[in-house]
Amino acid sequence: MDREEQVEKFGQLIQKAVLEDPVKARKILINACRIQQAGSVLPSSKVSPSHRYASRQITATMVDALSSPEKSAMVSIFIPSEPLNVAGITPFSVEALSGFLGGVHAEQVFLDAAEEDGASKTLCSFHRIFHGAMGSGVVPNPKMLIYTNLACDANMTSFPYLINRFKIPSFFVEVPYERSEDAVQHVAGQLREMVTFISDVSGKKITDNMLQEAMQRSHRTSEYYLEHLKYQADHAMKSDIASELYAVFTGHIMMGTKKAETYARRMLSDIKKAKGNDAIRLVWLHMIPFLQPSANKYLSFTDRARIVACDLVYDSMMHIDPTNPYEAMAHRMVYSCYNGDYKLRAQRAQQVAEQTKADGIVVFAHWGCKGTLGASALFKRDFEEAGYPTLILDGDGGDPANCSDGQMATRFGAYLEMLEDRR
Amino acid sequence: MIKYVCKYTPVELFSGFSQECSLLDEVADNFEVSERASHINLCGFGKALMESTLSEDTQELILINCCDTMNRAYDVIDDTKACDFLFMLDLPHQNSDSAAQELGKRLLRLKNEYAASSGIPFDKEAFLNAFAPTAPSESEPYVGILGVRVGKQLEETISSLMPLPVRNLTCVSNREFTCDTKAMADMSEEDMFTAYAVALLSQFPCGRMGMPEIRCKLFDDKNLKGIIYHSIKFCDYYEFEYVGFKRDTTLPILKLETDYTRQSEGQLRTRIQAFAETLSGAADTNQVVAKVPTPANTSYVAGIDSGSASTDVVIMDTAENIISTVIAPTGGGANNSAEQALSDALSKAALSRSDIRVIVKTGYGRDYIADGDDSVTEITCHAAGAHFLSAQARTVIDIGGQDSKVIRIDETGAVQNFVMNDKCAAGTGRFLEMMARALGLTLEQISEIGLDWEEDITISSMCTVFAESEVVSLVAQNKALEDIVHGLNSSVASKVGGLVNRVSPQEGYIMTGGVAKNRGVVKALEDKLETNLYICEHAQLCGAIGAALFALERA
Ligand code: SF4
Ligand code: SF4
Ligand code: SF4
Repeated sequence: MDREEQVEKFGQLIQKAVLEDPVKARKILINACRIQQAGSVLPSSKVSPSHRYASRQITATMVDALSSPEKSAMVSIFIPSEPLNVAGITPFSVEALSGFLGGVHAEQVFLDAAEEDGASKTLCSFHRIFHGAMGSGVVPNPKMLIYTNLACDANMTSFPYLINRFKIPSFFVEVPYERSEDAVQHVAGQLREMVTFISDVSGKKITDNMLQEAMQRSHRTSEYYLEHLKYQADHAMKSDIASELYAVFTGHIMMGTKKAETYARRMLSDIKKAKGNDAIRLVWLHMIPFLQPSANKYLSFTDRARIVACDLVYDSMMHIDPTNPYEAMAHRMVYSCYNGDYKLRAQRAQQVAEQTKADGIVVFAHWGCKGTLGASALFKRDFEEAGYPTLILDGDGGDPANCSDGQMATRFGAYLEMLEDRR
Repeated sequence: MIKYVCKYTPVELFSGFSQECSLLDEVADNFEVSERASHINLCGFGKALMESTLSEDTQELILINCCDTMNRAYDVIDDTKACDFLFMLDLPHQNSDSAAQELGKRLLRLKNEYAASSGIPFDKEAFLNAFAPTAPSESEPYVGILGVRVGKQLEETISSLMPLPVRNLTCVSNREFTCDTKAMADMSEEDMFTAYAVALLSQFPCGRMGMPEIRCKLFDDKNLKGIIYHSIKFCDYYEFEYVGFKRDTTLPILKLETDYTRQSEGQLRTRIQAFAETLSGAADTNQVVAKVPTPANTSYVAGIDSGSASTDVVIMDTAENIISTVIAPTGGGANNSAEQALSDALSKAALSRSDIRVIVKTGYGRDYIADGDDSVTEITCHAAGAHFLSAQARTVIDIGGQDSKVIRIDETGAVQNFVMNDKCAAGTGRFLEMMARALGLTLEQISEIGLDWEEDITISSMCTVFAESEVVSLVAQNKALEDIVHGLNSSVASKVGGLVNRVSPQEGYIMTGGVAKNRGVVKALEDKLETNLYICEHAQLCGAIGAALFALERA
């Protein structure tokens, strides 16, 4: 049985269990995580050690979230996770959980469950899978729920609904549309309240000192990452399509942990050692459709193309002042390129493209992700004016039914051919 | 003229500049401009907004960062520099002191920016005089339109069809709050705008505010007799709420999803009318066409079901015996097909037109047929027909050429609840037809062949176009035809099964419509629902039988 078949079989097994006995399904998932963590199902000498490290850590996070709900918090991915991590609470985001369930091909049963529960079919599939997983009882209720309006209005649908339905203690952080110091102060104030909330609900004391240390680690993580970007143009780490995704999660839900710092440090040392190659260099906007066979074919274990940076990662890796933890966390939210108008996001992508000598920029137009879809035409125009051929790649990162893989293969393939031609 | 889109817009502020405000709420004819400027998969309202702003001249526009669509609509509009004044008001998601304070600052900024841009000085008194006292809402039974904005045209259609007064309680429409303008007159500018912000935020929250615990009060009103719940495709704020309402209320509720264009009005009309019929308890329609004088001593009636694929006619006598039936393909227009089918049915029974006392029409084409005395929607007719075919019927599954519907009926055959598929072809006869074509099979072949399957293939694409390419690639992989067809049947079954689950189904399943003849789909659906479906000889005539029964009532 090859790996694809194995994963497929596992998907079927889990789907059956979900329908019959959600708790059993959870156990199967946890076991699968553990096996994956031990590296026996997904061994891969084809990816760099730092990516493998990240993969193991993310999996461990999912195991913690599933097996110790009393010590976990469900969060919007943009919620600063340092306070949770120092309190020993495992944050897990919609995207992380859904990505994980998709990764083991268990998404369909949860998508169906969400649909029966009333989730609109146009809602982002990460949110739908997540709803299905919560609603079916496979994912136990976490200790708390923390969310924000930043970046994505799907949060503003999902979280209030789940809070109302499951009566889970919750906290909301409102990020103003405008990027200003005033806004930073306003958010910092809310983050202070958030820390009190976390302390109260978890019974764990969170001192300023603990936060400062965590922010120091976040600061170093960001600096390692930013340093590593400088090598992306001429050094090619071994990677697969999921590698950038690991960075997305380490850069958010694991921020402030030693693990995230270790990952970023190792990534920097990996890339320094890596040799260059002729692969097409792509800056990637938004989620990466790792479930799509065609995207996998072009991006995993190949010298043909590689993602040099993804905005979901570099967005969180800012220069911050760790001595003022609240302001630093608030700054990261307010000045996120996902906040406010589309311009900052376009500018940052161009800067990174320049730094990494990218051949082109791909805007992944994930079904239901209106924040990115709506600006896709503007992105394309701006990037092409700046000399970066741009592909708007329609697809769905979580629900393969919403896109035709054949079409994606054609579009992506033709785009790569075009870039190769230009060289 | 200042255009605005949201009830949280400070419209009174602009009275201080002697400017009038008007709500931008037009549905669009098409989305050519907006889809080029942004993306096709955005909500229809956002696209309609871009469409009108980019193609006509809207000089001054106030937007709210309601959702991601609005944020991007702002970017697109801002990019064209089409507006002389464009302002994005950042609206909090909470109704708290600190949120009001922030909003107050933003209102003040809006005032200052508008003053600077227009050169008009701000007149505080005119501003304070602009606050209209809110009229107390009347206490009489009404039908509420809930959910997201409906647009004027649809609201008018609904009002014209409902048997009760209609109240528009959709997101932008119930703009109601009170403001102590006397106190405000003596305040500093900052405090005055904070007070204004407090008032704006005190409105009944729309779905975007994320306050489901407050919004459920919407259906708590004893005068509310029925709910029409509107949602716009690609707007996700209101979907869960609808499901929650539906679960928690015993009121009749109809869900309408539109794309904010004028398209699909026919289907919407049918559904609204059918809902109106449920509300008035019977199939009395307000569409009674002037009665054709008919001879008094004849004792036959006819029902005509004018569907997109076939036109069916049933002639019945007063003892409810079916005398003659015809199923003919609808070709050359609804009217011609109906005339032809009726005359065929008459000649089969050796009757003439004058022997028929009452004709009731149903189906998509019903309003295009000249002959006939009355028309009733296919929902109500199918319910009555199903009850006639089996007194045990409680859940009617009808899969027709263009649409599929599931109707819950009670022991008298009255409609309790119903759902129809959305506009796409998935889960309809048309889907199967297209797949049969892709596989080079006839409809007869495709209905049998899937019964002998071995490998359980999942066709994941619901969209016909994607499914077609999936099927083609399965063929290329040398998958067995039986297995592919079974996969298609399961896909239809899963789509229709989803509809079934939405009506709180009850045992006593009956399947009607053309696809009832497809044994493969029937089997797949039975497996999915874990029950048996009753299918009878007249399954395809269900709608026409219902129409004939209503004709009998009127005879
Ligand atoms: S993919 Fe887009 S819509 Fe989905 S969670 Fe992420 S930001 Fe939100
Ligand atoms: S949903 Fe709410 S915020 Fe959005 S336009 Fe409607 S009333 Fe305004
Ligand atoms: S209809 Fe929904 S998605 Fe569209 S602008 Fe209004 S709230 Fe946003």
